[in-house]
Amino acid sequence: MKILIIEDERALQESIMKYLQHQGFICEAVSDFLTGKEKVTRFVYDCIVIDIGLPYGSGLDIVKELQYMESKAGIVIISAKNTLEDKLKGLDLGADDYLAKPFYLSELTSRINAIIRRRNFGGNNVITFNEINLEAEAQRVTVDGKAVVLTDKEYQLLEYFIANRRRLLTKAAIAEHIWGDEYQQVSNFDFIYTHIKNLRKKLMDAGSGDYIKTIYRAGYRFTD
Amino acid sequence: MKLLTKTTLYFLIAMIPLLAVTGFYLFKQFSKEINYRSDKELISEEIGWVRYLQSEVDNGIIFVLKSPEVSVYPTDASAAQAPTLANIYGYTAEGDSKIPYRQLSQVVSINGNSYQIIIRQSQEQKDALVTSITRLMLFVFAGLFAATLVFNWAISKRLWKPFRRSLGKIRSAELQKMEAIHFENTNIEEFNELNTSLNYMAGKMHKDYVNMKEFTENAAHEMQTPVAIVQSKLELLLQDDNLKDDQVQSILESATALNRLSKLNEGLLLLAKIENNQYETKEEINLAELSEKYLHLFDEFIKEKQLNIKTNFQGSFIINVHPVLAGSLISNLLGNAIKYNYNGGTIEIIISQNDYHISNTSMENPIASEKLFTRLRVSREGQEPSNGLGLSLVKKIVDVNNLLITYHAQNGIHSFDIMRNIPA
Repeated sequence: MKILIIEDERALQESIMKYLQHQGFICEAVSDFLTGKEKVTRFVYDCIVIDIGLPYGSGLDIVKELQYMESKAGIVIISAKNTLEDKLKGLDLGADDYLAKPFYLSELTSRINAIIRRRNFGGNNVITFNEINLEAEAQRVTVDGKAVVLTDKEYQLLEYFIANRRRLLTKAAIAEHIWGDEYQQVSNFDFIYTHIKNLRKKLMDAGSGDYIKTIYRAGYRFTD
Repeated sequence: MKLLTKTTLYFLIAMIPLLAVTGFYLFKQFSKEINYRSDKELISEEIGWVRYLQSEVDNGIIFVLKSPEVSVYPTDASAAQAPTLANIYGYTAEGDSKIPYRQLSQVVSINGNSYQIIIRQSQEQKDALVTSITRLMLFVFAGLFAATLVFNWAISKRLWKPFRRSLGKIRSAELQKMEAIHFENTNIEEFNELNTSLNYMAGKMHKDYVNMKEFTENAAHEMQTPVAIVQSKLELLLQDDNLKDDQVQSILESATALNRLSKLNEGLLLLAKIENNQYETKEEINLAELSEKYLHLFDEFIKEKQLNIKTNFQGSFIINVHPVLAGSLISNLLGNAIKYNYNGGTIEIIISQNDYHISNTSMENPIASEKLFTRLRVSREGQEPSNGLGLSLVKKIVDVNNLLITYHAQNGIHSFDIMRNIPA
């Protein structure tokens, strides 16, 4: 899976690249509008991460260009502008997703995974982690072919875990992914524990390995 | 006092000395005329007397006449070439009051004998003249006064029309619609000058407003970007398997603090944007439906704290507000009601057509009313971290949408009421 990152802040660009590479993506990064535009017209990517405010131009124009080219690449806009208008404008131009800065790298990874799946496999795509299979469209989970019944939240958790496998995920990042921004209102994240405990039990009851590791006071890690 | 009334008043005050001078001048002129006539009569009378005296003296008689009107008597003084004419005051024939007289006096030489001739003529009409001139001037003044009143009324209706039109435009001006405001040219120079300045000002305000808007957005951009960098670095750091437990904790605490900073920034920006009227597009929002939505969204928390939710939706409180602000309003109030509640506590939401009531049980002390909606008021007593912006956001949203909010705390129950602000 090839990802292009168009972001002018070098430090952020590096972080994104490092994290995505860890998750098995092949990454390229550019820092300005012109090189970005040149890259997208000359090469094919599975997903492109675009910042709006770039030197020499707006990331939105690259989105327009991709739309004009009828590119198959997924597009995630990352922007410091967090208004509804900006969000809608980006999506209207053909972006698949819009993430406001600051965001969790784990969140970005999860979104990129979802977009690539939607774009490449249409409805019937399967996410696999060892003996665990997720049919994304139907939200069906099987362990060694045996169906596991999960709640919505548990399914989202599992998908998020697999996208960010082997990474330490903080409770704050998990809460924001599953319950959204509004939950920041009420700041403590103990309620996550119940959902994770249930998910873990259901998977293990179905015969999967014990993949969800609790990192004391920090969060969770999904790893084999 | 109206400008026109004031100018008229000054005008009328200025008229008083002018009328007085005019009156005095008129009196002088008339008086001169009267004197002239009197003099002519007096001189011709004198000629008569001289002629008479000559015939009398020729007859060898020494003539003496003394009456109030005419005195003729011999004198030692030498004769004068011309008669002396003067205004004097003297007693009337009845001798009871003094009146103005015109008096001619001359020493004439008749056949070598000097005679003093004094003839006076009553000028009683001069007193009457003063009265009638005064009356005339008062009449003119009254006429002017009445005329200016009528003119004022007509002028202020017509002449000030462009001024009133500009005033109306200023009154209805809205900061975010400054661009659309234009003050037209009129045929009055002063108003043109005013309107030109107003046009300039409106243009400048529009420009400043746009700049301000850009500034708030740029501020968000400039602040969120470094936060994003730090957050991503911390997230990467956490992935290092060789970290000691306390190092992980330090990173997590930094991440939490950073998150608070970012939320604080968002909150301040939201406040600034509301103050800049950037949430003007309004929709009809049903607060009952919105509350249901947030109760559902906060469901996990409510369950976690085993809170008892009582809702009583007697009617739908529908308000016109930007959807983002409506969401912020309810999520802040409900979020607080959950956050500051204790396990097994109660939240009660009662909605009628004109009142939104939300109350919760809490261990917290009542909030002092003067600090209630203060920005960045952070309660140090509670263990829950807060950015101290929630209630000031609520207050601001309520204010800009023509609503009222009140707070009560009694017996460990804190309650907020939102009502429509109906001007008395």
